[in-house]
Amino acid sequence: MKPKKIKCEEAKKYLSINLGEDLDLSHCLEIKKHIEQCPMCKKYFETLEITIKCYQNYNVELSDECHHKLLNKLGLED
Amino acid sequence: MHEEELIKLAQSGDKKALSELVKRHEKTVYNFAFKICRDKERAEHTMQETFLSMVKSISQFEGKSKLSTWLYTVITNHCLMAARTSKKHDWDSLEEEIDTYEEKNISSWNIDPEKVMEDKELKEQLDKAISKLPTDYRIVFLLRDVEGMSTAETGEIANLSVPAVKSRLHRARSFLRQELSKVLQYET
Repeated sequence: MKPKKIKCEEAKKYLSINLGEDLDLSHCLEIKKHIEQCPMCKKYFETLEITIKCYQNYNVELSDECHHKLLNKLGLED
Repeated sequence: MHEEELIKLAQSGDKKALSELVKRHEKTVYNFAFKICRDKERAEHTMQETFLSMVKSISQFEGKSKLSTWLYTVITNHCLMAARTSKKHDWDSLEEEIDTYEEKNISSWNIDPEKVMEDKELKEQLDKAISKLPTDYRIVFLLRDVEGMSTAETGEIANLSVPAVKSRLHRARSFLRQELSKVLQYET
């Protein structure tokens, strides 16, 4: 049976609020079950995770020039 | 050497210890500052201001929290102050956009998050999306999801209650996913 729309909205909101938290087990299992059965919510969950991973993996290098300028400004250059 | 020992030495005026503390944290500080402002020059300025605060106040550091937590708090305050003096975001309209936006068909995204650094176009999309978020929402998302802080630690650093952190996090996550979805989804 196709999950009801309100259930999808509830699942998506629950995921967005609680991803990464220690979740209440019974409600969490209910949401998990819904996601497994609902392709749209499954894709929502996957893309939410991708969003977070993209930002986690986006880093910048601190150049040597920046490093030396910092130590110099702080009066800590060797 | 343990950080606690280095801090004690730095507090007694040992410049080498102070320098070592800077070296241990500079990459994290620079990266976090960049992730908030998405601009290398401003990130460098924020990093310098943060360590100037550290050098100035190290003698008063009591060690009640980790030095890194203290540094995150300094960066957060600095960026929030800078945001208050710059252009205000129209967050009400963004909230409305999240509430009213309906994805008729949620599609998969044809990207590999492990290859972000090789993808200039994706990096631009990520910068563009997060830059639309108000600074306080951006900071909560970055502390909690990117830097891996707990909800309580995020609240402590951003001076917000746990429910306020959760609310901002939910909004920020939904908004970023929605913004990226507009450019990354493809029909299956």
